[in-house]
Amino acid sequence: MLRYALQRISGVIPTLFVIITASFFIIRLAPGGPFDEEQTLPPEIKANLEAAYGLDQPLLVQYGRYMRGLLVGDFGPSFKFKDFSVTELIAQGLPISLTIGLAAVLLAMLVGIPLGALAALRRNTASDYGIMGFAVLGIALPGFVIGPLFALIFGLYLGVLPVAGYESGQPQYLVLPIVTLALPVIAYIARLTRGSLLEVLRSNFVRTARAKGLSPMRVLFRHALRPALLPVVSYLGPATAFVVTGSLVVESVFGLPGTGRYLVQGAINRDYTLVMGMIVVYGAITLLCNLIADLLYGWLDPRVRYE
Amino acid sequence: MTSARSNVLEIESLSVRYETPDGAVQAVADISLEIAAGECIGVVGESGAGKSQAFLAVMGLLAPNAQVAGDARLRGRELLGADPRALRDLRGAELAMIFQDPMTSLAPHIVVGDQIAEVLVVHKNMSWREARAQALQLLEQAQVTDAARRLTQYPHELSGGMRQRVMIAIALACDPVMLIADEPTTALDVSVQAQILSLLKRLMRERGMALALITHDLGVVAGLADQVAVLYAGRIVESGSVRKLLKNPSHPYTAALLRSMPRIDAPVDEPLVAIGGQPPSPRQPIAGCPFHPRCAAAPSRCTTERPELRRIDGAQVACHFPRSNSASAITL
Repeated sequence: MLRYALQRISGVIPTLFVIITASFFIIRLAPGGPFDEEQTLPPEIKANLEAAYGLDQPLLVQYGRYMRGLLVGDFGPSFKFKDFSVTELIAQGLPISLTIGLAAVLLAMLVGIPLGALAALRRNTASDYGIMGFAVLGIALPGFVIGPLFALIFGLYLGVLPVAGYESGQPQYLVLPIVTLALPVIAYIARLTRGSLLEVLRSNFVRTARAKGLSPMRVLFRHALRPALLPVVSYLGPATAFVVTGSLVVESVFGLPGTGRYLVQGAINRDYTLVMGMIVVYGAITLLCNLIADLLYGWLDPRVRYE
Repeated sequence: MTSARSNVLEIESLSVRYETPDGAVQAVADISLEIAAGECIGVVGESGAGKSQAFLAVMGLLAPNAQVAGDARLRGRELLGADPRALRDLRGAELAMIFQDPMTSLAPHIVVGDQIAEVLVVHKNMSWREARAQALQLLEQAQVTDAARRLTQYPHELSGGMRQRVMIAIALACDPVMLIADEPTTALDVSVQAQILSLLKRLMRERGMALALITHDLGVVAGLADQVAVLYAGRIVESGSVRKLLKNPSHPYTAALLRSMPRIDAPVDEPLVAIGGQPPSPRQPIAGCPFHPRCAAAPSRCTTERPELRRIDGAQVACHFPRSNSASAITL
């Protein structure tokens, strides 16, 4: 297991390096630049600006400088948020996005797996159809519908939670965003768990477990559930990375100052450093989540540990 | 078959049927069997003859949509329709089963030792510590080499033969009175087959355990079984002592099965005699004798009237025109 873990971990750094390098050059392929606005700047001012940010240098020099900065945790200045460095922007927004993201994933697992298992065990009954119907809704309804709906019901009609906004140390502001973010993940996990558990329950080793005279609970929890969670884990790796780096929709609907908007805004504005910063963060978190998923995989199925 | 014998398992008029959207499927039809302590009964038939279905029904392991009728008594206690909790107490303890495919019949994520120990923890209230110690002995009895190391290995680290031995160790953990072995050697190499069979034979003798050996291999039956039941299309067509059946089969199907076995003493260029045609589909029951479309001599009576099992020459045969060595036995 240790060797398997080390193998997986050693792959992370080179992968991250490739992601950063590729993104750095691909962004520059897009036409336009951070200082192209509707009102064209006088050429000499634009040249000054570009010189100030080092954009007049050859691309390779810029790349070298960016990579050196990364080594000491400096993501460079933002081109659009004039008084902020990218490091500051991310440091402010990421804790919020991480908090609601991790809470949403945790909630999704705690709700989705039992729901899926229940649907599998009560296959073709009302509870199965109910849960799967809910799952289809959860997947099909986008966050910009669910979010305002929740705000309307719980914020305005019932008045139990704030409609939107954020104050640090006030967790009630996070409840609706977390639930909105978790809903499609719950739905996916429930569907995956149901399908995979149904397959495992038909497998020969579950028949053996029943032939041993074990109670249905023991058959389910000790013999069937662990192998059945493999597809859930492989889905959760990338899904977690996606959720914790912040959702543009959910953060906009609930007015949360997270990092969700930075990637899209940065790309539209050609805010090279901000986009790069988000890519580095997103890439690192994705790799971390996949690493955790890989290790969980090895725990769930010992056959994976041997190649 | 004397009346003094004590039956471990009695199956009476067992039927298994499935209602499917495409119509009813009769997997097992009206099977009756008796198995005495220390005795091995070979249950023989082609794929789909209902061998496994019958014994999975006895174990209570059929799919929920199976409709089971009849009786199955383990030492006098009714198994079919019994309280699930009571049935679980018997299953894995007094009544055990091993399966055809050892490669997929063990849980991939649990070490072998714990899969054996679990039975003892559940049925004998042992602590895990005691149970693991016992598991080591069981592995040794199942002739697993290097048993101590195997305890902490996962199934995928073991060969097919080793895995089947682990399955046997699991089945025998609580000293069952009845073991059902569903094609235990079909998935294994020939040399390993022989080892597993002789192991089963020895364990059976040592423990006075009854064994139901489900197989399509008459050679396996010849080596191990005392009694044989031949199944065709969900019914018993012939049953009796192994000696009688293999020497003087009364039913044309049994005779055809024996002829279709490759023989080591036959000339190399002699073609194998296969039974022509296909077994009937359980979805479309055949009128009359289910074997008549494939039977060499099937007079018109066989196409309309299904023969009941009757006693002939110390065996039970379901045939209107049983083969016989003494010409007088042909009665019409």
